[in-house]
Parts: sequence; C-alpha cells; structure tokens
Amino acid sequence: MSEPFAVIDGRTLPAEYRALLRPGDAVSDHQGREQFLPRFFYAVESWEQARETKLTAHFTLSELMSVDCREAPLLLRQFPHYVPCAVSILARYLEEFRARAEAAVMIAVNGGYRSPAHQLSRGSSPHLWAAAANIYRIGGTWLDNARSIERYGRVAESIGQEIFVKPFGNNPGETDDHLHLDLGHLLCVPASMRGNEGSRPAS
Amino acid sequence: MGLDEIIFGASKPCLLESPIRKFAFFPLPDRSLRMAEPQLLRKIQLIAEKAKLGEIAVAFRDFESNEEFSHCGDRWFHAASTFKAALLFALFKAAEGGRVHLDDQLHIRNRFVSIAGGGIFRVERNRDGDSVVHQRIGRSMTLLDLAGVMITRSSNLATNLLLDLLSLDFVRTTLEEAGVAGVEVRRGVEDLAAHDLGINNEATAKGLLRLFRLFLDTEGALSENHRQQALEILFAQEFGSMLPARLPDGVRVAHKTGEISTHCHDAGIVFPTNRRPYVIAIMTGTLPETENRAKAVAEISAAVFHHLQGKRCERESADE
Repeated sequence: MSEPFAVIDGRTLPAEYRALLRPGDAVSDHQGREQFLPRFFYAVESWEQARETKLTAHFTLSELMSVDCREAPLLLRQFPHYVPCAVSILARYLEEFRARAEAAVMIAVNGGYRSPAHQLSRGSSPHLWAAAANIYRIGGTWLDNARSIERYGRVAESIGQEIFVKPFGNNPGETDDHLHLDLGHLLCVPASMRGNEGSRPAS
Repeated sequence: MGLDEIIFGASKPCLLESPIRKFAFFPLPDRSLRMAEPQLLRKIQLIAEKAKLGEIAVAFRDFESNEEFSHCGDRWFHAASTFKAALLFALFKAAEGGRVHLDDQLHIRNRFVSIAGGGIFRVERNRDGDSVVHQRIGRSMTLLDLAGVMITRSSNLATNLLLDLLSLDFVRTTLEEAGVAGVEVRRGVEDLAAHDLGINNEATAKGLLRLFRLFLDTEGALSENHRQQALEILFAQEFGSMLPARLPDGVRVAHKTGEISTHCHDAGIVFPTNRRPYVIAIMTGTLPETENRAKAVAEISAAVFHHLQGKRCERESADE
C-alpha cells in the first residue's frame, strides 16, 4: 500500500472518538488476560477512498472495514473512519490465503475490523485489532458446513503457525456458518509513530 | 386426541346450531353481528363449508360507512406470516425514534438463537418464500430492502434478521404502546425448539384489524412519510391469490398473507376506487390437505367488497 492515509495516534482524537475506539486501552480476554487495543489508525476520508485503495492485488480496504448498523453511529456515519494500521498486514495474509485457496475470497460485512463500540464486539476479539477475517464464501463454495470450513481452515493454517482458525462447531470459540481466521492481537506501529508506542494509555 | 385438537390445539371451537350444525367445527359467530349482517354471515359460512375450512374468522372496519363486522374476531390463530406486518410497523416506529435508519445496512447472516433454550437454528433456503436474501449471505442489505422482501415475498430470513436487530422486547412493547391487542409476536420464523414448546406467533382477526389500521392516515401512528413508505411496501405484495384476487380492476390492496400447512390468512387495507378504504382480516384453520382454501379467502374478500359496495348504493339511493 502506498501510504495514502494519514496515520493518527488515537489518543489525540476528540473525546467522543476516544470513548468509542478506546485507543491503547486494556481489555480482558475470556481468561482474564489483559490486552491493549490498537492505538494507531489510518484515517480514511471516504468510502470512495476505501474502495479505490488496494491493500493487495485482490483486497481493497473497504472489504476489511465494512460494518453494518450495529456499529456506533459516529463511527458508522461520519468520516474520517479510523482503521487500525494492522489491517494492511492482515490483507497480505489474506492474499496468500487466496492464492493457496485458488479462488476468490469473500470477506463478510462485520467480518474485518470492528470497533470496540460495535454491538458484536465482546472481550478481546482480534477483529478489534483489524487482525481477523470472517469468510462466508470462497469461489462458489459457501462455508456453512463442517466439510468446507475444515477444508479451507487447513489451507489457512498451512500459511504459518501465526494463523489461528476457529474450529467448526456452534459453541463459543467455534464457527458453523463461516471461516474465522486471525493473527492474534497484532499491533502495528508505523515508522512515523515510533517512540510513542511504549507509553501506557490514560485511563 | 380428537380431530379438533389436532387442528386447533388448545382453542375450543364452539358448535353452532342449525343450519350449519353438520359442520361440526364451525365456530359461533358474534351475537350482535349475527343479527346485524345475516346475509353476509351466511355467505361466509357457505364459502367456508364448501371449502371445508375447519375454522374461519372474518373482521372488517369500513371507513366509508363506519360499519364494523366481526365473525369470531377474537379467536386466536397461529399467525403464520401475517405477523410480519407487525414487524414492519415496529421497524418504522424504530426509525421514527432514531433507533435505526431505514437506509442503514444490515449484515445478512443465517444463524439465529432460539428463544427456547438458546440453541442455534437457521432458515431453510428451500422452505423460504424468497431466495434473494439467501444469496446475500455474508453481505448486507438496507433495512428498507429487507422490510420490502419480508412483506412482498414473505422472506423468513429477512424477518428473522429484522426481529433480531429490533429485539422481541422492542416489537412487543411497540405493539402494546400502539394498542394492538390481538397480535402476539413471540419468536422468529422456523424456531422449531420454540414451536415444540408451543411458543408461536398468534393473532386474532380483530388484532390484525388494529394492526393494519395503524397504516392509515386516520390513526396518526406513523409520520406521513413513513406511513406512505410502509404502505407502498404493503401495496407491492406479490402473493395476490387471496384478498385482491376477486376484486375489480383498479382496487388497490395493501396486505400481508400468511400460509402454513394448517392455516391460511390474509389481512390488509382495501382501497376501492370510489370510496374510502376498509381494513379486513380473514383467518382460516384447515386440515393440511384442504384444497382451495386460498380461493375461499378470495371469495370471502369479494363477498365483503360487494356487501360494502351494496351499502354504498343503498346510501346513495337514500340520499337521492
């Protein structure tokens, strides 16, 4: 990606944005372990810009930031939108996944980055880091059964051990109507922001 | 288990004395209306007998003559898809309250949590009246588009998505605040675990009248802009084999059908070309193998139409 976006330290945003994005704040996962939310964001000025920005050969930024009306109104309706910088790394993994799957990969709405204020955001989901993707269809195959989810899950895992795939099932931590893959809690600190990343967030 | 229990569940149809006692499951008409509209009532009964309908309820409210009619209008039925009109109303109320925006996008996902025990269920594609929403799984549609396909093609998936978004509590509270007694929304479509526990969406003919009246300008339940939008969706109903089927050309009907194996209903607002509208609900309970039940509803709809047109002619003659 050729750096078309301004990189923003989320802690410098207006209070109403900070309240929703919670840049650098600690959140607990389901085991009570503390994780720190992303602090550095790309400022996306419009949907046109997001659609025209190819993060890789086959993935535009818009695919990885599309959310529905469950997002907080301010973040849904008002530009700029703020997307964690890790989204560009996620896109590179998805491009690799696409190559290995040998078919187009469809990222779902709400299936890329979701803010902590999104109604589907719970705990420390890697979607809050822009480090996860929910995939409903690959080529002509719907990923809504054990066979297809497990098949493409193995393809994703073949990329490297840093890829996590949720197993098939309908219990918490499992999926039965899409493939979830993620890179864990991936924090990206762009060069222009080096030196800031060590400071703890204000409470 | 007796046949009536199979057909009607817990409800107990009252037996009618001659002349239609032979039709054992035919319920007793409301006393006042039996006296007021004997000819229309008899016609309804004959149509029901001929079609072997197990149970019939008819109610209407005419805004030209102010005539009201109810035949078993308080009897509860499985609502089938007629309850989707209640969801339409609740959606527009949510939009008026700023809870949602009708042009907002909603993620299309076919995965729902049962109200009975929290199990997961899906809407079977081959049992849904519409495939458009299924093709959008993983993507999104606007709330207005979902509302449209929920009514015009009776999409079960669109219905569950909207119910999930609005919440059952909100829909029920909205109906209660609007004074819609007689329509009970209790669960999403194809929540079989809830069905097995006897938790179903139910309605009475009078309840559906109350609901559809909310889409008329006389009620002030919705802002004019939203009311018109909602009405246009109801006008665009694609299933036309019942209420509108035997009405004259030019008569517009804003309505919602409901058909499952044991029930066949249609309710809505009829706009004749030369007079003010009337609201009507026709609900039937039938054996699963009963044929021509939709035709019977269409015949009853036509009978009511001609009854009211006749009233108009009578009034015009009197005026002269």
